[in-house]
Order: sequence, then structure tokens, then C-alpha cells
Amino acid sequence: MKKLSVSSFAVLVLALLIAVGSRSFLGPCVHEDGSFGACHWAGQAMFGLGLLMMLQSAFALLWRDRKVRAGILAATAMTAVLGCFVPGPLISLCGMATMRCRAVMQPAMILLCLLAALTAAAGCAAELRRSRAES
Amino acid sequence: MNLRSLAWKNLIRRPGRTLALILLTALLSLSVFGGSVVVGSLRQGLDSLESRLGADIIVVPASAQSKVSFKNMLLQGTTGAFYMDPENLERVREVDGVEIAAPQVFLASLKADCCSVKIQVIGFDPETDFIVQPWIEESYTKELGDLDVVVGSKVEADVGDIIRIYDERCKVVGRLAATGTGLDTAVYCNLDSMKTLLKAAEAKGISHKVTSDDSDDQISAIYVKVKDGCDIGAVNSKIQGHTRKCTAVRTKSMLTDVSSSLSGISGTITTLIGAIWALALVILLIAFAMIANERKREFAVLRLIGTSRRMLSGMILKESAMCGLAGGLLGVIAASAIVFPFTTLIETSLKLPYLRPSIPDMILLGLLAVLASVVVGSLASSYASFRLSRVDPGTVLREGN
Repeated sequence: MKKLSVSSFAVLVLALLIAVGSRSFLGPCVHEDGSFGACHWAGQAMFGLGLLMMLQSAFALLWRDRKVRAGILAATAMTAVLGCFVPGPLISLCGMATMRCRAVMQPAMILLCLLAALTAAAGCAAELRRSRAES
Repeated sequence: MNLRSLAWKNLIRRPGRTLALILLTALLSLSVFGGSVVVGSLRQGLDSLESRLGADIIVVPASAQSKVSFKNMLLQGTTGAFYMDPENLERVREVDGVEIAAPQVFLASLKADCCSVKIQVIGFDPETDFIVQPWIEESYTKELGDLDVVVGSKVEADVGDIIRIYDERCKVVGRLAATGTGLDTAVYCNLDSMKTLLKAAEAKGISHKVTSDDSDDQISAIYVKVKDGCDIGAVNSKIQGHTRKCTAVRTKSMLTDVSSSLSGISGTITTLIGAIWALALVILLIAFAMIANERKREFAVLRLIGTSRRMLSGMILKESAMCGLAGGLLGVIAASAIVFPFTTLIETSLKLPYLRPSIPDMILLGLLAVLASVVVGSLASSYASFRLSRVDPGTVLREGN
């Protein structure tokens, strides 16, 4: 049996943090009157991307063929790069830098997505190298 | 094979040990770089507050101290609105020793559409103001027109944008440079625009009048500059006695409070850094002693094939310097990933003025942190290298250790 991919597992953990964090401790601003600001939708999008990355990394973790794993990890890396642009450039946030969405959600999501992208890209390269070595 | 490549190969051969050493030294540079940036930013923030509060005395309504702390407004950007009789401005100007007295009017907006949060609006008189006007002139040199506003660096609105305050459309004509204080979250306009906004607020049922007449002139604070050579304390007392329902606050005492809070935080951070360094140094010493014990046979063989003591010492020092360099760089990168993106969070948590040092200063701090990691790593390994270089190959190999 082939070894489980460490990078896929790391990406799975990061994706879990993105998905859970965007709905809780790293989430957007909470308004007292229950209304939603623009940042709420950025949080929702990050939740969706987090779930997608979790699925992708879970597939990469379970799949036996190294080339397929590399392909899935490459797709995960690109999803993570997309995630870096969601809070702010693609979906606008609240207008005050001191607000939670800008002070907490945006930097945390960018940091987690960057880490996930780098880990997935490194994992993809490692899988391709091993695949070549094995064949 | 030369010594440098041998040291490199030794590190590669034992990835677990190398990773542990790199992580330990990374902890050192992370603490020193992260801590220095935070302490430096606090000091820079205090300097910025000092230069922005160019007044010697600030006169606020007595109620301001209880309604919303004026200091919180300046430091944390808490919104607040309090008003006093405009006659107090003339009374302050009449006080002997007062050089300039400039009024400001505060208004806390309802949730502005730009940010779904209350913002502080500050009205000032461009003719007499010596606090906001010089700061605005750094980014906007024209005269502020009717309902023209200049926004602080933390208000996410660009020049040309329209922000609604009490349903009045205000045009953003400039953005101010960051000060690291609560002033960064405010919006600034002239007194005519402020009168329009106060009327709009009143139309929405938010009254700000302190006098029974229909006068629109309300003021929230008076910034006072004392004539050179006059005793600020004496002028402060005279103002206190000359005005009604007002409190005259010396800015120096306000800054002293901030400064003492800053000293407390700086002290705590410095102690923490010291503790981390002491702990990491002890762990590194133990780690290198254990490594020295483990590698006795390896060094005995190297001695037997003709490697000099000096070369062996040099090899261990090179190994530790390489780990220190890698760890130092990793620590600086990790600290940067924590401290820089979360600047606003750190600032709001500390509740003190916080302004990042300049980029050259931060690069210098980063280089010093890396250098410190390399030096500490090398120092910690120096005893081990001394012991290993003095190994008697015959005894070690005979013992089978």
C-alpha cells in the first residue's frame, strides 16, 4: 500500500480551518440588528471554497494513483489561490479597516489560503517526482 | 569533499535533528523580530500622537469625561458627541497666556453606508485650526468646500467617492496619512459642512443643542496653544476658572498616561522575549551536548583519517550556523506572517496608538534577528565543538560508544 500523502493531509487541515473559521472565530462582522453587510457574502464564499478544498484534499489523500493525486493537488492549489482574492478584491468588505472582516477575516483567510496553495503545490511536485521515480 | 559540504551532508543525513534545531532557532528570531516590531510600533504610535496633538491644553465639556472618554476617542476611535456653550471659545481666547484657541465639533454618524458602522465626524475651522489643517495639507492642499470631507487612513473610501452621513451626500476629496491613533477612523469637514450635518442629524431626531436659543453654533472641544514662556499649568487653571461646565485637560498628562501603559506593555514583551531566549538557549545547549555525545564515534573516525581538531570544531560551528541561518529566516518570515497582516487586530487589542516603523527599519530589525539566531546557535554549539574536537579516537573506538 502506498504511503498517505502528508501534504494532502496538511491541505485538508488548512481547508477545514478555512471552512470552520469562516463560519466562527475567523468569520465576518456580526451586526447587532441581524442585517448582513457585504462581508457576510465573502464569508459564505470562503466557506464554500473551504468545503471544496476539503473534498479535493480528501480525494488526493485517498487516491492511489500518484499522477491523479498530483492533478487533484494542482487543482486544490489553484482553488486556494482563488481564495486569496475572494475577501476584498472579488467580494467587497466593510468600509472601516478596524472592522472584524478587515482586521481578522481577510488576513486570516489570505494567510490560510496562501499556506494551502504552497502546501498543495509542493505536494503536487512531490507526487510527480515520485511517480517518475517509480516508473 | 570539503568541510562545508560535509557539514551540509551531516544536516541532510539527520533531517529530524536538523528540523528540531531549525525550529528552536526560528523561535528565537520569531520572538525577537515580532516583539521588536510590536514595541517599535507602539513607540512610533506614541510619537505620532504627540506630534498630532499639537495643543498644550484641550477644553472639553465636563460631561465628556463621563459620556465617552475623550482619550478613548483619540486613541481607539470610539465615536462620541458632546457639546458645550460656544461662548466658552471667546472666554478661553480672553485668558491671558492663550496664543491660539481652535474649536472642533464632533458628531457620531448613524451607520454610514460605506461601512455599516458609526463613524466619527470632526468639524474644524480651517482659519484657526492648528491640529487637523496642517495634517490635511499633507494630502489635500485646496480649500474644503461645502460637504467636502477628508477621510482618515482606516476609512475605506477613495478620493471621489460619496459617503452618506445622515442622508447628506459628502464627497471624499482626500485621504490622510496614518497616525496609528483613533484619528485614523474619523472623517473631517469644515464647520459649515458640520452645521449642515448637525441639522440633518436633528431632522432625524438627534438633538445636539446645549443652549435654548436657535443658534447653530455648537462646539465640542477647544484646542489651546499657550504663548511661549507662559506656564501651561497656570493657564490651564485660569481656563478652568474662566469657562462654564468645562474641563481643561493638559495634553501632557494624557500622553503620560499613554506612555506609562506603553512602558508596561513594552516591559512585558521584553520579559517574555528574555524568557523565550533563556529557555531556548538552555534547550540548545542540552541539544548540542546530546548531539556531541551521540557523534563521538563519527568524530573519532574523522580524527583517525587525519582531520585536525580545528577543522572538526569548524564543521560543528558551520552546522550550527547553517541551522541558525535557516531558523532565523524562518522565524522572521513566520513573525511577518503574524504581525503584519494582523496589525489592526493587535492595535485594537492593545488599545494604544500603534504605527508600524518604516520599511528600512523593519528590514534592519529582521537582519538583526537572523544574526542573533546565528550567533546564539553558534555560541550554544561552541562547548560541544570544543569537547568533540578533543575526543581521543582510540579510547572512544575501543569503548564502542
